[in-house]
Amino acid sequence: MNLKHRIVSLLCAGTLLTGLLSGCGGPGTEFDGTNKSSGNSDTLRLYIWGEYTGDEIIENFEEEYGCRVIMETFDSNEMMYTKLTSGDSYDVLVPSDYMIERLLKENYLQPIDREVITNFDLLDKNVVGLPYDPDNTYSIPYFWGTVGIVYNKNHVDYADLEKEGWNILANPKYENKLYLYDSERDSFMMAFKALGYSMNTDSEEEIHAAYEWLCNINNTMHPVYVTDEIIDNMINGTKDIGIVYSGDAAYILSENPDMGYYCPTQGTNIWSDAMVIPKNAPNPDLANEFLNYVLTYDASYDNTEEVGYTSSNAEVAADVYGEGGIYEGNEAYVPRSGFDKDEVFRDNEYLRQRLSELWIKVKAGSTASNG
Amino acid sequence: MKLKKFHWTRILLAAVIVFFYIPILYTIVFSFNSTRSLTTFSGFSLRWYEKMFSSSMTMNAIWTTFLVAILATVCSTIIGTITVIGLSKCSKPLRRTVNMVNDLPIMNPEIVTAIGLLMFFATMEISKGFMTMLLAHIAFCVPYVMLSITPRLRTLDPNLADAALDLGANPWQAMWHAIIPQLSPGIFAGALIAFTMSFDDFVISYFVTGNGVQNISILVYTMAKRVNPSINAISTLVIVIITAVLLLINLIPLVRDRAANRKKEEEAV
Amino acid sequence: MKQFRSMAYPYVAWIAILIILPMLLIIAYAFTVEGTAFFQCQFTLDNFARFFSDAVFFQVLIRSMRTAIITTIVCLLLGYPAAYAISRSGMSSTKLILIITLPTWINMLVRTYAWVGILQDNGLLNSLLGLLHIGPFQFMYTDFAVVLGMVYNFLPFMILEIHTSLSKMDPSYLEAASDLGADHVKAFFKVTLPLSIPGIISGITLVFLPAVSSFFIPKLLGGGQYVLIGNVIESQFLTSGNWSFGSALSLTMVIIIMISMYFTRKLDRNREDEV
Repeated sequence: MNLKHRIVSLLCAGTLLTGLLSGCGGPGTEFDGTNKSSGNSDTLRLYIWGEYTGDEIIENFEEEYGCRVIMETFDSNEMMYTKLTSGDSYDVLVPSDYMIERLLKENYLQPIDREVITNFDLLDKNVVGLPYDPDNTYSIPYFWGTVGIVYNKNHVDYADLEKEGWNILANPKYENKLYLYDSERDSFMMAFKALGYSMNTDSEEEIHAAYEWLCNINNTMHPVYVTDEIIDNMINGTKDIGIVYSGDAAYILSENPDMGYYCPTQGTNIWSDAMVIPKNAPNPDLANEFLNYVLTYDASYDNTEEVGYTSSNAEVAADVYGEGGIYEGNEAYVPRSGFDKDEVFRDNEYLRQRLSELWIKVKAGSTASNG
Repeated sequence: MKLKKFHWTRILLAAVIVFFYIPILYTIVFSFNSTRSLTTFSGFSLRWYEKMFSSSMTMNAIWTTFLVAILATVCSTIIGTITVIGLSKCSKPLRRTVNMVNDLPIMNPEIVTAIGLLMFFATMEISKGFMTMLLAHIAFCVPYVMLSITPRLRTLDPNLADAALDLGANPWQAMWHAIIPQLSPGIFAGALIAFTMSFDDFVISYFVTGNGVQNISILVYTMAKRVNPSINAISTLVIVIITAVLLLINLIPLVRDRAANRKKEEEAV
Repeated sequence: MKQFRSMAYPYVAWIAILIILPMLLIIAYAFTVEGTAFFQCQFTLDNFARFFSDAVFFQVLIRSMRTAIITTIVCLLLGYPAAYAISRSGMSSTKLILIITLPTWINMLVRTYAWVGILQDNGLLNSLLGLLHIGPFQFMYTDFAVVLGMVYNFLPFMILEIHTSLSKMDPSYLEAASDLGADHVKAFFKVTLPLSIPGIISGITLVFLPAVSSFFIPKLLGGGQYVLIGNVIESQFLTSGNWSFGSALSLTMVIIIMISMYFTRKLDRNREDEV
């Protein structure tokens, strides 16, 4: 068979397929259109963490505003970033602090219409004006909290915790009894804090010291690195110490009364996830309405009741924590304030690269030495 | 001796089947758990089923998964079969090249295929959703279909098609009547693998979907932020649906035979 | 024969668009500097230099290969006899194949989560062993758990492939062998096994390849410290957002895999040329 014939048939098939492909955009949107009516003024596209909304909030919002909410979920800020930057359009995103800062830097967000956000004053003063968006021009807080140590009160000496703080993770008494959270950010945060550095440092020396600190724990203490399994595992009391986000800790504590929550005085990460509106949002008006709606008492209560994370609505948080609340007296529910050493994550490209590189080394070192 | 060997492999097969089904049973049992725990069964409850059926997101995801898997299986089986037959008559370099390229999606970590497709759809400015997911699924299923048909074709008598053509069949007839029946176990296996791959796929779907179109895997993955037994409920529902379909497929011929027999008997009487 | 040839051409165009083009995009990334904006290019070899200059990545690669090879061997040892038993079971073989594939239609993530519950320190397996006064053992976060998870997920493919090649075997070969005085064992090794080699090879392909690059199973059953090459690649794309390095890693891995597959298939290809 000759080459010419081959090329011609390839080209023909090629054009045919491209035709098919571009045609596919049509039926694709049509399919969405039949049951979801995309791109209309009455549709809100929400992109949010998995399992991060209350049972009724979406339905209630749809009813009240006569619209339809298309909710998609992500499991990491970076995943959200990838989707957004590859051209997907959403009306509302709920990323974390440092990611909001990055999106802002890269010009992906539009300012919020504060005229619409009449409920702004309901926000807890502690989550307003955080360094990633000092005037809250672009973001409205959704949930917030700290990172701390969940420990089994029967097996872990509280005095050790108080004396050693994050360094308890290197205490040979607790060898083989640790869960660490498998995230470079949170692990290096502990290391920086244990060593008395800022977790937003640029100094190579400090980064290296933190790396050594983590390697030491990894090689002598044999921790297990997990992510969300930690919740179930700590409830079952499989191990004695776990590094946990405060919202998850609140749930663990409510399920297993043997567990306690402790934030070392060396400082910790004050994190917050906030709602933002991307530049390419098809429906920014409705997005602003949604932001405002989430802040209402009922919506905020529904969210925090179902998810267990601390509400950004001050009154809701107080009621939930206070007498008769669902998390009454739960020390993990209310993030602490007034500790100078507590910090918020900033977006720092150099640090981001270095940490991801070193984190693999920390973890990979372990199995290599264990055989 | 012969009998003994027979038994040995059969026992192993039985063990393998038990091994396959233990986690399934576990999933089903824990879908009725009254708490979130995956290790301690604290009491019977239907709360996770209530949660599942009341969520339109979940029901949509189940529907999307089945629809994509069925369409992707049908398309990729047809494309794969035709291509394998066509390729067997092509020059060796072309055949090798296609087989090599085919290996790429099989060999690549799924995430690489996924990122590649994401970049492709983004560059082409194709709006992501059901269609992009289906296209991606067909794209990664076809190589598997071809992989499972090729060995079978190799043992086929190469003169079979010629004979059919000589007898006056056109190529499609020759393919349909002479070649495909010979290949059917391979095609069947290929279709099964394609369905499995598509039904189970998470990474690629995750990257190429958009506009709120989700399949079960995506739902499960993002739900697993919190251990959530409604995932178990979804799986249980899926296994019930699939078992029901399989039973139906197996029962229909049985019923039909019986009906036919009865008719015959009646006629005889 | 032209009539048949042309049937393959549409697919050639298809793979050009949906396989080669995306792959070219990845190659473009691997050789360019950081940045997720499309077509923002500047040629560099840094991404590869980083991989080859750091012993950690090599260790990770070796560990991935080792885990995948063990998984493949276990799958072959379990899968061959199972497939053999199925293909000898006559009429019910189709049903048995369905029974084998049914579990794979349940989400892989869910099935792996189920193993977490079973293998946990206070899980089902340890409770059962406890009844026999054995244990408890730590199963979770060990090599055992990871290999078990992989075997569980990939074994059906091995069985399917081997079954396909066994079922198309002409039983008259075996009859001929026994007529010629070969006993059962000899007939198996002289006739059945050689004829099923193509199936074994595609089975190995279908098990080894996903095993070597899988990231979810080691992450869940081995814990975060069980870093395989798939985990590193995943984290480059999903957590550190370094697409260029991720692409370079993937390319390196694909090349290594291609070389090893080339040698595996050579065996097969020699046979094909003989026939």
